[in-house]
Amino acid sequence: MMDIFLCLKQPSRMVDSKRMRMTSNFQWILLTFLLLYLMNQVSSQKKRTPHDLKCVTNNLQVWDCSWRAPSGAGRGAAYEVCIENGSHSCYRLEKNTKIPALSPGDHEVTINFGSSISKFTLNEKDVSFIPDTPEILNLSADFSTSTLHLKWNDKGSVFPRHSNVIWEIKILRKKNMEIVKIMTHNTTLNGKDTVHHWSWTSDMPLECATHYVGIRCHIDDPKFSGHKEWSNWSLLKNISWSSDSQTKVFPQDKVILVGSDITVCCVTQEKVVLALIGSTNCPLIHLDGENVAIKIHNISASESSGTNVVFSVEDNMFGTVIFAGYPPDIPQKLNCETYDLKEIVCTWNPGRPTSLVGPRNTSYTLFESFSGKCVRYKRAEVPTNESYQLFFQMLSNQEIYNFTLNARNPLGQSESTLLVNVTEKVHPHTPTSVKVKDINSTAVTLSWHLPGNFAKIKLLCQIEINKTNSVHELRNITMKGVENSSYLIAVDKLNPYTIYTFRIRCSTKPFWKWSKWSNEKQYLTTEAIPSKGPDTWREWSSDGKNLIIYWKPLSINEANGKILSYNVSCSSDEETQSLSEILDPQHKAEIQLDKNDYIISVVAKNSVGSSPPSKIASMEIPNDDLKIEQAVGMGNGILLTWNYDPNMTCDYVIKWCNSSRSEPCLMDWKKVPSNSTETVIESDQFRPGVRYNFFLYGCRNQGYQLLRSIIGYVEELAPTVAPNFTVEDTSADSILVRWEDIPVEELRGFLRGYLFYFEKGERDTSKMRGLESGRSDIKVKNITDISQKTLRIVDLQGKTSYHLVLRAYTDGGMGPEKSMFVVTKENSVGLIIAILIPVAVAVIVGVVTSILCYRKREWIKETFYPDIPNPENCKALQFQKSVCEGSSALKTLEMNRCTPNNVEVLETRSMVPKTEDTEIISAVAERPEDSSDVEPENHVVVSYCPPVIEEEIANPGADEAGGASQVIYIDIQSMYQPQAKPEEEPENDPVGGAGYKPQMHLPVTSTVEDLAAEDDLDKTAGYRPQANVNTWNLVSPDSPRSTDSSSEIVSFGSPCSINSRQFLIPPKDEESPKSSGGGWSFTNFFQNKPND
Amino acid sequence: MLPAAGEPAAGDSWGMLACLCTVLWHLPAVPALNRTGDPGPGPSIQKTYDLTRYLEHQLRSLAGTYLNYLGPPFNEPDFNPPRLGAETLPRATVNLDVWRSLNDKLRLTQNYEAYSHLLCYLRGLNRQAATAELRRSLAHFCTSLQGLLGSIAGVMAALGYPLPQPLPGTEPTWAPGPAHSDFLQKMDDFWLLKELQTWLWRSAKDFNRLKKKMQTPAAAVTLHLEAHGF
Repeated sequence: MMDIFLCLKQPSRMVDSKRMRMTSNFQWILLTFLLLYLMNQVSSQKKRTPHDLKCVTNNLQVWDCSWRAPSGAGRGAAYEVCIENGSHSCYRLEKNTKIPALSPGDHEVTINFGSSISKFTLNEKDVSFIPDTPEILNLSADFSTSTLHLKWNDKGSVFPRHSNVIWEIKILRKKNMEIVKIMTHNTTLNGKDTVHHWSWTSDMPLECATHYVGIRCHIDDPKFSGHKEWSNWSLLKNISWSSDSQTKVFPQDKVILVGSDITVCCVTQEKVVLALIGSTNCPLIHLDGENVAIKIHNISASESSGTNVVFSVEDNMFGTVIFAGYPPDIPQKLNCETYDLKEIVCTWNPGRPTSLVGPRNTSYTLFESFSGKCVRYKRAEVPTNESYQLFFQMLSNQEIYNFTLNARNPLGQSESTLLVNVTEKVHPHTPTSVKVKDINSTAVTLSWHLPGNFAKIKLLCQIEINKTNSVHELRNITMKGVENSSYLIAVDKLNPYTIYTFRIRCSTKPFWKWSKWSNEKQYLTTEAIPSKGPDTWREWSSDGKNLIIYWKPLSINEANGKILSYNVSCSSDEETQSLSEILDPQHKAEIQLDKNDYIISVVAKNSVGSSPPSKIASMEIPNDDLKIEQAVGMGNGILLTWNYDPNMTCDYVIKWCNSSRSEPCLMDWKKVPSNSTETVIESDQFRPGVRYNFFLYGCRNQGYQLLRSIIGYVEELAPTVAPNFTVEDTSADSILVRWEDIPVEELRGFLRGYLFYFEKGERDTSKMRGLESGRSDIKVKNITDISQKTLRIVDLQGKTSYHLVLRAYTDGGMGPEKSMFVVTKENSVGLIIAILIPVAVAVIVGVVTSILCYRKREWIKETFYPDIPNPENCKALQFQKSVCEGSSALKTLEMNRCTPNNVEVLETRSMVPKTEDTEIISAVAERPEDSSDVEPENHVVVSYCPPVIEEEIANPGADEAGGASQVIYIDIQSMYQPQAKPEEEPENDPVGGAGYKPQMHLPVTSTVEDLAAEDDLDKTAGYRPQANVNTWNLVSPDSPRSTDSSSEIVSFGSPCSINSRQFLIPPKDEESPKSSGGGWSFTNFFQNKPND
Repeated sequence: MLPAAGEPAAGDSWGMLACLCTVLWHLPAVPALNRTGDPGPGPSIQKTYDLTRYLEHQLRSLAGTYLNYLGPPFNEPDFNPPRLGAETLPRATVNLDVWRSLNDKLRLTQNYEAYSHLLCYLRGLNRQAATAELRRSLAHFCTSLQGLLGSIAGVMAALGYPLPQPLPGTEPTWAPGPAHSDFLQKMDDFWLLKELQTWLWRSAKDFNRLKKKMQTPAAAVTLHLEAHGF
């Protein structure tokens, strides 16, 4: 040991680190060898004696101890084992020994082997407890439920004490033994051999793959303080499905809970290419061989025919149907009642739908626990939203029932219970066969049929009595139930001769539910005598000889039947006079009476009898101080008040009528008790805006006295017409207006006054708009004195138109307006002044002018009428010398635009005669002459216009072509010589220089002439008659050629057309020929004006 | 005979429906059933032909409803399952040459037998259906199919052919047992509807052929009847 220590220490002295590391490694190896040597020495020492004593137990009763034999000890060597266990006990054994379990604590164990003795200390803590390997007695499978059932024996009899056992079970799947699940199972050992069962449901159908099961255990003995260890795994047992080589899909027609997971597999020899859940493709899980599985997670509720799972192999297809649904809900609203105390009907609501139909639908069982009877409900089809019902026959002498409704489907079951006393849960059927029979005019019997045996209970029925146009009445009747279902009851307090509608419903006592109302039964009660006489009034006829008796028909309640006739009689002290029967629709009778005091009585009769008579006195007591009052109502009625009069012993009567009706007038009357002092008269006949007369009669000593006469309206309205008014008188400053009354029918209220408006205005311009808008120019007069019928308007202006408007008003509003225009009379003084002043002024002006003219007469003559005119003053003869000398192109006098009024052609070949008024053409606009060429002063037009001569004009085409047209100067009269053509003319107007052409020929001639002009430009420059040039040369002394030669400087005037008797001027520009034909006219004048 | 109103057909022409319903209405008075005053089998063949066309139309709507009830993938247009358990259903598909070589009697007998079987299956279908609406539709169709069967029987009678007698024990029964899974049942239902459709097509062709044949002189029929009398 010292060596090692030294060796260990030595390297620390080394300085060189590298060397030191090498040395260190070496030393470690050395040290290891040394240790090995030492250990070998020790073990060789041990090997010479028994060593390594180990004890295990598998039943806690016997310890199985073993040790290592000393080297050299052969098989079958004998040992002496002595255990100090309170007492000293020795066993002579071979190598292993089973010794009884020792008590807790250390025990000395001596093993003698020959001369060598080994001593051990043995404690329970050093002992391992390893239970025996369990053995699976049986492994079975329920393929339909995919459940494995495991059976094994715990061999508990070998264990002295009760102790807990943990069993560990492992499930392996497929041929390669994938562990699927390891689970524990706890049991207790009870000293006896017990066979345990354990089941496990596979998530995958057991047919899909081989399943293996192994088991081991661990016994937890609380008193054993040694090592408790797991037993070894048992031998594996397996379960596999013996396939008949036919392809199958598992599970078939499985019902599972919505939301759960399921594995479906296909056991096949063929290769599966596709798996579908419904129409969804699914990934395949490969199992042994060609078997495949698919896993469906969280499956949703199936349709009614289930969820299809299909596996496709190359040329075939296999599948299964899975029904995913819910277990039945707890039946809700379970209610059991009876209609007839013979049968109990229980109804309930199934709650949440299960999504399972057909054979997998929920089945219900109704179980009654007291009697032990049950009724089953099974229906293939579940109607949605309909409650289920089951009938349970009632048992005699049983009133209390304890029902349990059990709902069951393949996924589970649920139940709901109900304890009922059926006599308290009676819901009677609808009463039927309702019949009514008379008792008298105010009572009937009502009978009906109510199915059921209610002999033991009381019924509460309700009768609804409906009278037409009246609120319905409900009467509750409690009656004893009967066995034969027929019920009868009397209904009284009815009105005679009234149509009643009865219907009945019933319940029981204690109340649970009303039955439905029975069908309605209509019934007319019988007649009774009228309860009172008719309301009567009388009127004297206008001649005062006849008394007309009026009465009102009795109301239905009073008539008590159909009134057939009335009896009217009048009686005085002496006699009683009875009239013949008056049939019903007539409510009036006329009796001729002298003015005696009669009492009239009226009796109404129906089929049963006569009413009590209603009496009225005929006498009318006169009233002297009667005045007519006014009253206005409240829209639908009118309030009348009067003072209390103790003399009035019987009653007050108010009668009224439309004021426009003639006497005797009676619309209606109303009787008021004698102690009242006011009443509101209401009637459907009242109309707003209609005037009514009301008469208040007081009854005194059996005679009526007219107390008050009132005219009134229930509601006033505005008048419908305007008052008719006329102007009585008009002066220069005033107008007198008179108007008429408005008829009562059109007034529609009490007249409160008139409004008179007036303003200045003419009939056409002034419209009286917005009279009420307070225009300042409108004057208004409010005439509140309704007796006033005239109005004088003063302070008006004379000879002015006034607009007058008149309208009437009531409390109901303004009536329409009527307007009139009136012109006031002229003021005569003003008129005279207005005439005289202008006349005087005119005279004065005239006188002054005359005087001035006389004084200056010489000057005037010189200026305006000289004896010899001064040629210098003649503007026509003025020449601007400077200009004339400078430019020969300028003209000083231009005579143009003289269009012949008429052109006469004496000879024509054309068949078309034509006459034109040239003035029409002269109106054609002329292009203004260049102002630089001609001075405005020189532009004097002197023209000659010959008298109108009828001419015939030749066809222009023929005219030109043939040149045969004869043109004659009929009358050429000029005070000027024809002048030469202007020099510039050819340059200015080579084309237009064709000269003058009568405009009526232009469209044709111009084109023709253009051609001619081209050839003969020089010759024809300037004026060129449209006739043949030769002809013109021969005939005309004023030919341009001749003048051209004689005078070259100034063109003086204008030649006349050969066709016309008018002066012509050469065209100044390329004006179209028609412009050159201008004659003097108004139009020409105006057209020339801009040039001036 | 037929509750024509309320037919849950999508996109059908009401005019055509009404017309065909009229045909069905008059079905009990099929002249072929009435041997006295027989105007020949022509009109009854025509009516039978019309009826097959009407049933075709009616089946289209029924099949739509029913396949939707079966759920996907049965209601998918390209779904074409193998004919597994439907072997007992009468097959409508036949080789064209074989079909041409059939004589009238055989042709009618095959039709009659097929529809007898199909009707029986269809009634089983009706019992299985879970919803009331479907049951109503199926019952309606069954009634119509019964009418067709009667019509075919009428034509056969008019032509003097005996009705095929159902052999005892071969009468198809509808037994939804544990052996028959829901999926196989659905496949059968699918095939039943498909076969029904094919049969209606075939019948339409059959009766059309028969109709054309009958339009040729009626003497042939008389001759045939005489021959039958012997």
